[in-house]
Amino acid sequence: MRKTLAILTIAIGLLLAAVPVWAHHAFSAEFDASKPVKFRATVVKMEWINPHAWIQLDVKGDDGKVTRWAVEAAAPNALLRRGWNKTSLLPGTEILVEGFQAKDGSNKANGSIITFTDGKKLFVGSSGDGEGPPKQ
Amino acid sequence: MKPPVVIIIAIVVLTALPAFAQNPKAAPPAAAPKAPAAAKTWTGPKTPWGDPDIQGTWTSDDCIGTPLNRPAQFGDRLYYTEQELADREANLARQADNDKQEFVASDARVGTGPPGHWGERARRPCRQTSLIVDPPNGRTPDVLPEARTRRVPEGAGNDNPMPASWEDFSYYIRCITRGVTGSIFPVIYGNGQQIVQGPGFVTILQEMVHEARVIPLKGGAHTSSNIRSYMGDARGHWEGNTLVVETTNFLGNRTGLGGNGGGMPTSDALKLTERFTRVSPNELKYEVTIDDPKTYVSPFKVGFPLTQEPGYQNFEYACHEGNNAMFNSLSGARAQEKTAQEKK
Repeated sequence: MRKTLAILTIAIGLLLAAVPVWAHHAFSAEFDASKPVKFRATVVKMEWINPHAWIQLDVKGDDGKVTRWAVEAAAPNALLRRGWNKTSLLPGTEILVEGFQAKDGSNKANGSIITFTDGKKLFVGSSGDGEGPPKQ
Repeated sequence: MKPPVVIIIAIVVLTALPAFAQNPKAAPPAAAPKAPAAAKTWTGPKTPWGDPDIQGTWTSDDCIGTPLNRPAQFGDRLYYTEQELADREANLARQADNDKQEFVASDARVGTGPPGHWGERARRPCRQTSLIVDPPNGRTPDVLPEARTRRVPEGAGNDNPMPASWEDFSYYIRCITRGVTGSIFPVIYGNGQQIVQGPGFVTILQEMVHEARVIPLKGGAHTSSNIRSYMGDARGHWEGNTLVVETTNFLGNRTGLGGNGGGMPTSDALKLTERFTRVSPNELKYEVTIDDPKTYVSPFKVGFPLTQEPGYQNFEYACHEGNNAMFNSLSGARAQEKTAQEKK
């Protein structure tokens, strides 16, 4: 588990100022920007629910023990209109997940990038280079 | 094995708060832009019972990102110049090309900011420099002194960084309501408005938070002022091809005119007069006069187009069932408190 779950240290001088716009997704309230996570996992289920989709994942540790993680993705409407469909993340798919862990230390994360075994990467949620939401 | 340590420095500045500054210095008028050409005489469809037919799923997506209050540099100018519009159109085309990239670059970095493509995109550039179309300076009228103390809605403290209860979250986050204007003013996604008509009634199903406004067309007086609600009491009638909806009986101090019903809350004296006019097969002209004598010194008007797009539909917004953000935010605050306590 410790090998597969590499905790990166981050120095970030920010707190998201976009709460009123991304109100359902108040990153700073839910997730810890100082706890980036990166781990290999197997997709168990993609939950297409508002306000944001969640991906249930199984993470196998070095001792063979399997731990369930939940990773938050974008709003289902945004994913659907962007071309995601029910086959985009099928159960059993092996992926590498990068994101930020929940503040309460539970096995939940805000997803950033998914990397498939063939090396292709997919945005799940956040982008370090993203331009952010349109201004109101 | 110790986890590998990588220091990443990222500075992201996102400023997405609605502007509510008052009385900006007016900029000198730029080259006189022309208002959009008036629609040629067009006869819209009728329902089987003879009312103008405005049914369909409409969206305010074209004006995503258009500020409520006009930036000072535009002065009294409501419309962009042709050159400014061309620039904005080119920018949208660039965004659209970028959005087609299904997979991110191999060197993409993780970050905490939501990417632009999480939201919807305007298909066409909004011609307006602000959502406020009257007064001529496109700015919210002055706020009355007594309203300035009404910054935090009752029972829904917005954006408390250490929420103690579900009551510390706005009505939007709690999946309750965004109010009438918060449900139709354009935001980053979920701008769908599905209009369904029946004899004597018009219903508007809003995509985000999923409220249905049932508007009776019988006219007459509003219900007793003792009966109040988040979305108010609506009465509609037709003036030619325009649906006019007057809404009163709001619960005051719940939602405001900012994005998703945020910002300074309006009062129980709020009266909204909305006008929906179908000006072409795929466009509704939408205007709302906001009259809140307990909040603003004078009424003002907001307007923007609602358009139809092929394939656009209201997806279900079962917000309560999936509102993990509520649990995560509360447990996150408790974890922070515990950490702070342990450090003492």
